[in-house]
Amino acid sequence: MSEKRTEFRRMMRRYLKSPTNVLGTVLLIFFIIIAILAPVICPPQAGQDPFKIPIATWSAAPVAPSADHPFGIIGGRDIFYGVIWGTRSAFKIGLVVSLISAFIGVIVGSISSYFGGWIDEILMRITDIFMSIPFLVAAMIMTTILGKGLGNVMIALIIFGWMRVARLIRGNILQAKSEQYVLAAKALGIKDGKIIIKHILPNTIFPVLVQVSMRIGSLVITAAALSFLGVGAEPGYADWGTILSYSRNWMTELSKSWFAILYPGTAMVLFVLAWNLVGDGLRDTFDPKMK
Amino acid sequence: MTAYIIRRLLLLPVILFGITLIIFSMIWMLGPDRLLATYVKSPEALKSEDAAERLIKKYGLDEPTIVQYFKWIGNIAQGDLGYSNIAKKPVQEAIAERIPYTLELAMWAIIPVIAGGIWLGVISGIHHNQPLDHGIRIVSLIGWSMPDFVFGLLVLLLFYTILGWFPPGYLSYESEAILRSAEWTKYTHMATIDSILNLNFSVFIDAFRHLIGPILTISYLWWAYVLRITRSSMLEVLKKDYIRTARAKGLSENVVINKHARKNALIPVVTVAGGMLVSLLAGVVIVESVFNRPGLGRFTADAATQLDYFSILGSAMVFSVILVLVNLIVDISYAFIDPRIRLS
Amino acid sequence: MNKDKKPLLEVKDLTTYFHTEDGLVKAVDGISYEVFPGETLGIVGESGCGKSVNALSIMRLLESNADVGGSISFEGQSLPELSERQMRGIRGNDIAMIFQEPMTALNPVFTVGDQIEEAVILHQKKSRDEAHQMAIEMLRKVGIPEPTKRVDEYPHELSGGMRQRAMIAMALSCNPRVLIADEPTTALDVTIQAQILELMKSLQDEYGMSIVMITHDLGVIAEVADRVVVMYAGKVVEYTDALTLFKNPKHPYTWGLLNAIPRLDIEQESLYNIPGVVPDPLHFPKGCKFNTRCSFCGEKCKQEEPELIEVEENHFVRCFFIEKVEKEKAKTKAGENL
Repeated sequence: MSEKRTEFRRMMRRYLKSPTNVLGTVLLIFFIIIAILAPVICPPQAGQDPFKIPIATWSAAPVAPSADHPFGIIGGRDIFYGVIWGTRSAFKIGLVVSLISAFIGVIVGSISSYFGGWIDEILMRITDIFMSIPFLVAAMIMTTILGKGLGNVMIALIIFGWMRVARLIRGNILQAKSEQYVLAAKALGIKDGKIIIKHILPNTIFPVLVQVSMRIGSLVITAAALSFLGVGAEPGYADWGTILSYSRNWMTELSKSWFAILYPGTAMVLFVLAWNLVGDGLRDTFDPKMK
Repeated sequence: MTAYIIRRLLLLPVILFGITLIIFSMIWMLGPDRLLATYVKSPEALKSEDAAERLIKKYGLDEPTIVQYFKWIGNIAQGDLGYSNIAKKPVQEAIAERIPYTLELAMWAIIPVIAGGIWLGVISGIHHNQPLDHGIRIVSLIGWSMPDFVFGLLVLLLFYTILGWFPPGYLSYESEAILRSAEWTKYTHMATIDSILNLNFSVFIDAFRHLIGPILTISYLWWAYVLRITRSSMLEVLKKDYIRTARAKGLSENVVINKHARKNALIPVVTVAGGMLVSLLAGVVIVESVFNRPGLGRFTADAATQLDYFSILGSAMVFSVILVLVNLIVDISYAFIDPRIRLS
Repeated sequence: MNKDKKPLLEVKDLTTYFHTEDGLVKAVDGISYEVFPGETLGIVGESGCGKSVNALSIMRLLESNADVGGSISFEGQSLPELSERQMRGIRGNDIAMIFQEPMTALNPVFTVGDQIEEAVILHQKKSRDEAHQMAIEMLRKVGIPEPTKRVDEYPHELSGGMRQRAMIAMALSCNPRVLIADEPTTALDVTIQAQILELMKSLQDEYGMSIVMITHDLGVIAEVADRVVVMYAGKVVEYTDALTLFKNPKHPYTWGLLNAIPRLDIEQESLYNIPGVVPDPLHFPKGCKFNTRCSFCGEKCKQEEPELIEVEENHFVRCFFIEKVEKEKAKTKAGENL
């Protein structure tokens, strides 16, 4: 146990040695704090859904930043409120989608490699087929069919987002199956299912977690892209992509609406950067082979 | 290797069949009501009392799902992807019209993406953990974390709104007028190439000016990706025994890197290049929307916002087929680059 | 020994330290030896004792986190002081190297011929065609059948033994003065090992080069070496000619190594094994580095490190208790004779 702890400490030391890893971690902590404190920074109106950005003005024209609305107003909505509460949306999208799709992937991958044979063949061909439709296009169609809303966006992203983990898990299990300790367990007469759950999965779960952390950034981008195109969250939802989509109507007059791109855009870049740096750092620290 | 290629070719129809299943199940999810709406081309068509029922009968929406599937797939086999309400013409025609615009963009963009990305990756790998490497990595990490539409909007803000150099859209009015004129021959339907073939360089410059914004956006975002793969693969390769052997022979660092390391380092880059080309094609959905370029991506996005189901399902189909074919080509070419695969 | 002869390669107080994130690793810690023209010097030790690092230090092929000290002189030139350009002129040309794992040491994406030719073109200023002919000739010399065909094959198309032969062809293509062979037979089957050693010996006779044979296998040493350096934990513990070493080992470690070789001529109840493991290079023990595994270890050994002393002519040993070892040896010998 204590050996594990010193090993963990060694890993942490190595992780924190890289300045980019520290930067990513600090950024991530910053966003977590913002997300937790959202109701304090921008108290929602009583009786209203806090994820609806309150309407600040009824005129559609963008209003430049002022003391009351530090990030300005676009589409009648206060950008500052949207950016702060959008942090919660971003966490929600990233974590829910990546974790659930990873879970599906783990199940498909385990079944595939456990049974092998034609079950494996069928599941892997299904995986191939799902991978053959470009992710963004697939997610776009799915949301148009399911209808607008962040929940539907997440469902669409999950349906077309589990394949990579499935392949990763399957590959790892197949590889682990031929390794000494598994062969030894097999020789002792332990059942395959038990071997997978007890010996193999714990060893493959880490690459999956790294994969999860590395995907969160791109998921948030994809969800925002859907909102930007107008098929994502409903208008007025506190989501960075939604605020950015308002600026689409002012594209020829960007000088009047720059703040609607700059603030949510910066928030999103930093958020994605944080996850990318952390995911990258974790991968380098814990599994240098995966580079 | 022939066995490998044959297996890949045999799988192709399976994959294509699977794609039709997914797309059809999406149609099925739409349900008869929404489907019916897509068949209604004008409000007048629904004037009579039994119009809805007639249309349901006419398009076979009350038939069993399996029958509907085979009818649908029969249509697809004949190249009929349905009717596009936004383009006011059959989907396949609308898509065929849009493809050259997208292909033109992808073609021009892939050059700086691959060349620049590999170049930066090799430099970064050689100068591992030196200031140059850190600089390149930070700039590319930001690019990697940058949503394409945000960067596109920034490019537009800087180069169009502020500087006025590179406008959005496809061509200026003057150039479009030239394109419509009788002297203009449309060889490829790509303005940059047709203008060269028509020896009209003002149109070429105009077309290229409109391309620079999207190319810049795509390049910057993809550099990060190509660079990362090249860099890590370069680092990996530089640790290999055969690099030590090459150095032990007395070869100069230049030869060691450019001959012995680079060819090995590029193998993984080629494997992702195909996937990249496809993502790049799919990524144009957004870039084309930001820069208002009338390609397939923009068409798909418009179809999605206006709930023109057949158009977007048709586009998805086309995108998927392209993806499958490109992957096939890449896998086969990969086998040619790496002599180890060629034989096994 | 040939004390009056001038050594070709002379290594003196060579140290190679690595700065790692866990601390300073003294991989090679002050070793000295000479290589005379035409002879074979064996360097033997367990993995991690610094024998390969020593070779890479001579060739100046280590990563930038390595700190190399001491002097290395080759034909009177001090290698550490040469410019990188001059050093490149020596690598592959005057001093060539072959490695343990011929699969990974050959570049998988170039043909065997191509990899031989480039050294020839570089150092001997031959044209591509001449170099190609030479590559074929070299492959024939190292006993590769159908060299005209093999020359255009990729490394993975050759068997392990063939690959090592190709490696040797590559190393000898520029007729080097010194060939450093880093565990050249370890990755090969036993029968092939013997063939490769035989080949190296006959090529040495033909070309007259010196060989530095780095190995963990005393069998290989017995086969080819004229003189032997025994290394332990970055230091030389015994240094003498091969005959003396096998007949009269003086360091407990050498003696242990020799005892660990299974023998058919006497009956053994069990195979001798040096107890314990090689110490972690980050935490070497205080005093004699072998003290954790030595059955002769006394208090003194845990406090200070013995010097390498010349106990007989040309026989250097790093141990405080040579007499104790002698006594023990006599006992075992007596036991053998019973």
